[in-house]
Amino acid sequence: MKVYLPFASNELKRQMAYKGAFYLFLFISLFGSFISYYLWKAVYGSANSTTIGGLTQQEMIIYVFMTYVTSSMVTISLADWVSEDVVKGLVAMNLIKPIDYRMSLIWRAGGQMLYRFLMPGVFVWIGLEFYKHYALGMPFVKFTTVLCFLCSASMSFLLYVLFDFCFGMIAFFTTYIFGMLMAKEALLSFLMGQLIPLSMFPGWAQKIFEFLPFPSMVYTPVMIYLGKYQRSELVFALGRQFIWIVLLYALGSVVWNRVTKRLVVLGG
Amino acid sequence: MRTCKRYMRLYRVLITQFLKGIMQSKVDFLMGLLGFFFTQFMGIAFLYLVFRQVPSLQGWTLEQLIFIYGFAQIPRGIDHLLTDNIWLIAWRMVLSGDFDRYMLRPMNLFFQVIAEKLQPDALGELLVGGILLVISLQKGIVIVDGVHMVLFFVSVMAGALIYTAIKLFFASLSFWVKISGPFLQTAYEMADFAKYPTEIYHRAIRFVITWIIPFAFVAYLPASFFLKAEVSPGIIGIECIMAVVLFSIAYVVFTIGTRRYESAGN
Repeated sequence: MKVYLPFASNELKRQMAYKGAFYLFLFISLFGSFISYYLWKAVYGSANSTTIGGLTQQEMIIYVFMTYVTSSMVTISLADWVSEDVVKGLVAMNLIKPIDYRMSLIWRAGGQMLYRFLMPGVFVWIGLEFYKHYALGMPFVKFTTVLCFLCSASMSFLLYVLFDFCFGMIAFFTTYIFGMLMAKEALLSFLMGQLIPLSMFPGWAQKIFEFLPFPSMVYTPVMIYLGKYQRSELVFALGRQFIWIVLLYALGSVVWNRVTKRLVVLGG
Repeated sequence: MRTCKRYMRLYRVLITQFLKGIMQSKVDFLMGLLGFFFTQFMGIAFLYLVFRQVPSLQGWTLEQLIFIYGFAQIPRGIDHLLTDNIWLIAWRMVLSGDFDRYMLRPMNLFFQVIAEKLQPDALGELLVGGILLVISLQKGIVIVDGVHMVLFFVSVMAGALIYTAIKLFFASLSFWVKISGPFLQTAYEMADFAKYPTEIYHRAIRFVITWIIPFAFVAYLPASFFLKAEVSPGIIGIECIMAVVLFSIAYVVFTIGTRRYESAGN
């Protein structure tokens, strides 16, 4: 752990270095949430019932912004770094160092996660709680719910980066991974529940989601935050996240071993 | 006239060179296209899921919103295809001093910037826009007559020019601040607001996307003209005026900026 800690702290420092640009990107990244916010307001205004997909309008507002908080923490694209390392041939350097490449990436992602949690996350979150209390007239979130949410979100983070590591392995087979990264982002934002609550999908699609790791990445922690899971459901949801982490970790190891065996690095 | 001809010829030469480069990496090109296509598809799927819950959104049907979405892609795609190089001014050319090479040639600077690159990724946007347009035409929700057809092309061109103007304006700021990429990106992403009827937004947001960074004039407003008979063609007129005015402002700022430009010497 002592070996890997610098990866996290370096990433944190790197992010801190470009503050000006960062505030603007923060602003941009909230655009999507505000568009959703107004869109949902209009949808609820045109709907016949007060709940859509099991959520009231107030819950939907919380859903939109908590999804932002959660996904800004969770969706740290390891695959970008992997493809960069592969294209530049840096991966060879990482192979000769006595460290585990995947571990170093995960710790680096951890640094970024922490930063994103501190910088936009917490402020949007606190803002949302005040808005919820004073404008929507709902009680503040319970402390135990916050704990469960944080626990679940941390697992979501691990789950996402482990998945993304496997995805990044594509970089070893094609030099042009940019288009794929874009497709991945689009598809995941959908399957994770980032764009729209999964409860609004048709029944057959929801059945398929049961067997995929993606809902555990964003949808699960946000639903926990909304208090939609009761005791046993909560344990089940957290357990499922844990199992996916174990499975994706194993998958990543297998793929990594295969890939590095056939790796040829030219030059030095 | 002769200069005009010369520029046309130069453009052909430059673009041919670029196309040769593209043909060498067909897989890359297809992957980029696929990625873009996919992103757009998700936007449509989102609309579809929303409309499973409600029959109409403030009087707009799913078909109409899909048309607005598709229509918005076409001017965006045209601009993306032709002037993608402007992004590089915003992100690094001024900082790194790469802009030097334009200053050295006896040609119009703006011409050189846009002639250097065609962005094939843009075909994704154009393809999606085209497909959605054809679907909308088949559904018969779009008004098709002589006036509307002519104004369609006018509107698409004016829309593309508005995009270019906004990009050029924010990219030119880099002559003062070195890197203006984040500003440009902020402005560019505001286009997403105009994919939906702007009535759903707060007044302040509506004002900004209609009159300050007028993406509403690229997407939603002209699209509504093609959908609803009661919308006056004046909206396309205003769009054209906006396009010309914005582009003139952007071009002036760009020209002043290039005079201020000093190389990152070494």
